[in-house]
Amino acid sequence: MVISQETMDIDFVRKVEALSDTSVRRCFQCGKCSAGCPMATFMEHPPNRVVRLLQLGQWRRIIEGRSIWYCASCETCSTRCPNKVHLASIMDALRKLSWDADGPSKESYVQLANKLFLQNIRTYGRQYEMRLAAVFNVKSGQFLKDLMLGPKLLAKGKLKMFHSKNKNMTEIEKIFSRIEEMRKKGEAL
Amino acid sequence: MTQPHIMEYSYYPGCSLHASAGEYDLSTRELFKVLGIGLTEIPDWFCCGATPAHNVDELLSLSLCAKNLELADQIAGDVAVACAACFSRLKTAQHVLGENDVKRKQVEKAIDAPVKLNSNVKHLLDILAHDLGLERLAAAAKKPLAGLKVACYYGCLLTRPTDVPNLDCVEAPTIMERVVEAVGAETVVWTHRLECCGANFTLSRPGVVIQLTNAILDSAKAAGADCIMVGCPLCHGNLDIRQKEIEGVYKTDYNLPVFYLTQLVGLAAGLGPDQLGLDAMIVNPLPLLKEKNLL
Amino acid sequence: MSRIGVFICHCGENISRTVDVERVAKEIGTRPGVSFSTDYKYMCSDPGQNLLKKAIQEQKLTHVVVAACSPRMHEKTFRKAVEAAGLNPFLCEMANIREHCSWVHENIEEATAKAIEIVAMMVERVKKNRVLPTITVPVTKRSLVIGGGIAGIQAALDIADCGHEVILVEREPSIGGHMAQLSETFPTLDCSQCIMTPKMVDVANHPKIKLYTYSEIELVEGYIGNFQVTIKKKARSVDEDKCTGCGVCMTKCPQKKIPNKFDMNIGMRTAIYVPFPQAVPNTPVIDRDNCTKFKTGKCGVCQKVCGPGAVDFEQEDQLIVEAVGAIVVATGFDLYSIAEKPKGSPIKGYGEFGHGKIPDVIDGMTFERLASASGPTGGKILRPSDGKEPKQIVFIQCIGSRAREKGISYCSKVCCMYTAKHTMLYHHKVHDGQAYVFFMDARTPGKSYDEFWRRSIEEEEAVYIRGMVSRLYQKGDKIVVMGSDIAVGVQVEIEADMVVLATAIQPQQGADSLAQKLGISYDKYHFYSEAHAKLRPVECATAGIYLAGACQGPKDIPETVSQASAAAAKVMTLFSKDKLEREPIVARVREAGCVGCLACKKVCAYGAIEEKEIRDRQGNLIKVVAYVNPGVCAGCGTCQATCPSKSVELDGYTDEQIVAMIEAL
Repeated sequence: MVISQETMDIDFVRKVEALSDTSVRRCFQCGKCSAGCPMATFMEHPPNRVVRLLQLGQWRRIIEGRSIWYCASCETCSTRCPNKVHLASIMDALRKLSWDADGPSKESYVQLANKLFLQNIRTYGRQYEMRLAAVFNVKSGQFLKDLMLGPKLLAKGKLKMFHSKNKNMTEIEKIFSRIEEMRKKGEAL
Repeated sequence: MTQPHIMEYSYYPGCSLHASAGEYDLSTRELFKVLGIGLTEIPDWFCCGATPAHNVDELLSLSLCAKNLELADQIAGDVAVACAACFSRLKTAQHVLGENDVKRKQVEKAIDAPVKLNSNVKHLLDILAHDLGLERLAAAAKKPLAGLKVACYYGCLLTRPTDVPNLDCVEAPTIMERVVEAVGAETVVWTHRLECCGANFTLSRPGVVIQLTNAILDSAKAAGADCIMVGCPLCHGNLDIRQKEIEGVYKTDYNLPVFYLTQLVGLAAGLGPDQLGLDAMIVNPLPLLKEKNLL
Repeated sequence: MSRIGVFICHCGENISRTVDVERVAKEIGTRPGVSFSTDYKYMCSDPGQNLLKKAIQEQKLTHVVVAACSPRMHEKTFRKAVEAAGLNPFLCEMANIREHCSWVHENIEEATAKAIEIVAMMVERVKKNRVLPTITVPVTKRSLVIGGGIAGIQAALDIADCGHEVILVEREPSIGGHMAQLSETFPTLDCSQCIMTPKMVDVANHPKIKLYTYSEIELVEGYIGNFQVTIKKKARSVDEDKCTGCGVCMTKCPQKKIPNKFDMNIGMRTAIYVPFPQAVPNTPVIDRDNCTKFKTGKCGVCQKVCGPGAVDFEQEDQLIVEAVGAIVVATGFDLYSIAEKPKGSPIKGYGEFGHGKIPDVIDGMTFERLASASGPTGGKILRPSDGKEPKQIVFIQCIGSRAREKGISYCSKVCCMYTAKHTMLYHHKVHDGQAYVFFMDARTPGKSYDEFWRRSIEEEEAVYIRGMVSRLYQKGDKIVVMGSDIAVGVQVEIEADMVVLATAIQPQQGADSLAQKLGISYDKYHFYSEAHAKLRPVECATAGIYLAGACQGPKDIPETVSQASAAAAKVMTLFSKDKLEREPIVARVREAGCVGCLACKKVCAYGAIEEKEIRDRQGNLIKVVAYVNPGVCAGCGTCQATCPSKSVELDGYTDEQIVAMIEAL
């Protein structure tokens, strides 16, 4: 791989900085974030390398990769960064841009879980764990995943058959729709 | 005749407390009843979005939280939050919307209402340690938890990131220890009290949780803890629900019951197992509690 | 009738790009009183100044206005040129049409119109200027040096060797500072005390150096050439004249377990002590807070065994006033600690490293004391917790430094080098030991520095890992260090026996209060501010006070010694004259109008105003008026603004001059 001026999209960096409200440029690659990241061993690019690729405008590799989807949002990186680079927000921004690009990312399970979680909120106003777990298993083709846990949790009352009721469900649908409208009109990133 | 409440709070339980973390909700209500603290559940609250929302759509996350804060504003008192994730999201929304005018305007458009940031959002630990105070807490402990060694597990979101939750010192917090020691328990010094359990990956990538949560259980056991105390439903789920699975993968035996903070404090305050939802715990706590004469 | 010469400078393109200088010159030339008006490319240059001098002589100019840059840049330059041409320098004023005009505007029309107004203002002002004769003040040719570390010692020796008396004041019982604590120094690995103690002894023996140890500065009054400094000599409880330094008292003292600050609290000392064997002066001090006699009234063994009878429990602190002409500040540095800081502090500690509570996590200076042959372990590298020899040491760079999250943005300059040195000392002493260094960059700019650093990696086998450490914690008797290597892109976890942190260099405790006593500026970190970062690095904005060493900013020994000699040279420049010339911009009281309300005295920040009695020939008191001491007055003008009867005037900035400027607009 050779990086040249043509492949460096610095404009993308500005978009990420605007979305995340922090500076990507401040990172001087000390590696403290990667040192403390609980998920670094699962990522192809540890956090400091994600920022480095971003600084070099190599956004495609990040968006299409799975590293950002393995971030646990534990906020350790942001807390310990000596330069106040809010890495967790940068990860959120990158995930959003990857989510919007809809497709090329290699990490499908995590994206599926997020999608189903948000769909449930849109429909029910509150999370419906039973449905979330069940639909995830079906859609990811892992029918037997956590199967043994199911009956035990039901018996202990931890898995509720029905979702928690909220009388204001139309309100939540309106919030989702308004946000979609704003994005269509370019009023929000 | 019921005593008047010494304090009043609006209560944001969050989705888990109405489902898989029902015992956290139950023990919280029962404990606060005994302590004489009023909790009024916010009517028709929404999911705060937890991690999936801010992970892919910050505007949605901020809007959901802003909406909930608007609903909370209609009830007197500070907002009491039990779940660490909900606490983190609400505090983050206040922090971000308080400083970023552009995002604030977008959120106001999305929720079609003004953004209200004046509510004080407090985690139960804050309420117990500061509003109630450790002295009154100690006085309420009719059956102190003598001889129980507790590993206090903070997880990620109670203290991080700096300047958002403002619950306690970010790297060396002591609020959990102070609360549980006030009701007579012993706490252990252990290495993994701020390490991540893997959180959300329990659904999509459980292998991650197995690895990370194992390290936490191992550290607690090595420090001589009898049990672990948490303030987050997701951490609880990973540590409790998946404990047997982890023991199988790593060929170890932990047998560490995982209590919610209100269950332990409630136990000390004299509440019984049914009021605390102890039967909902996957790793059975009863043998331990019987052994320590705490039932 | 005035014959004012006006000179408009182009300043290359700096002014002429935005201001039509030729038009300005032409416009001003038509003003009454102006007999010569021209423009020139570079007024401050040699030909420019010659143009000025020539015009004064040929045109018989009575006043001069140079319209150019800020007076802070070149007022001195032009006044000197004007003086050389035979005109009183205070009849020359500058009109700032650069910083105040061409540099801050873009529209040429408007900028030119503004420039014309600015020059017109100064033309009207200069008409009211009076000839001001130079004021001279005597110079006391004695110097005060605050701080007895290598910087203070070097400055003191340089000044004393020129034949001028030096008063050297040191807070600790002995001089030597931090350099005396070091084991070997980079890049040559010289033994630090071996190269320093001869200088310390020179100071003690020098006929021109008066040494006050265990003393602090209490009060500073006066001004350049004429300071009065009150020194508090704390009670040693030992008579310096009688003590022979035999040391018997220390061997008999029953309190033997007091942590010794010199040994970074891992070595112990007695209550009556010298901080280290080569201390200068070799006179002990009694630590009254920990001494049995002072705490309970019992004991007193040291007094009993002292042959010359030097121990004096009744000794009290003394206040001594010394008159000096110059002050060199050489108070040095302190190391940042990772301990938890109080709430609201701008600097944070490292909770992720245990807040300093893990005993085998130490800082660089503690490592130096372990490595030092005269240290608490006799030069053996041993763990403070159990005294065992560590076989795996992790060194971590940039602790506190370069971390705006922790409140310190700067680089501490010396740590890359001393950590490399530490790996070498460790390798020399523990042949089967392994050193790991977590670092970000290697800053090795000095002579032979980079080669020294490379030696650590290539010959002494230290493993350098480019990446920082997120956290470290105690596990059994090891310390688990969680770091990363950013080149490979992996996490690096090391179970170490000892961790050495390269902590940031900060100014000494109390640097801010000393600065306030001296009246010098300091930055947000409390490092003392030099007058000009590039061109005046050893002087303060406050005249007569000079800076040397780490109190001005982190630096290594060669730089410290250079700066100390430089400060001494500046002091010598001051002492080379018998009288000091000072700017005559001073306030003057018109005694006829003064009613003696002394409001001016209350508002004078410099203490320059005194009461003066006016008596008749019979000696009867007529009235008391205010009097401005022209030596102390700093020319701020506050008295002029305060005086209700308009009886105080600031020469060079009178109300008349200011009003003329306003009316010209």
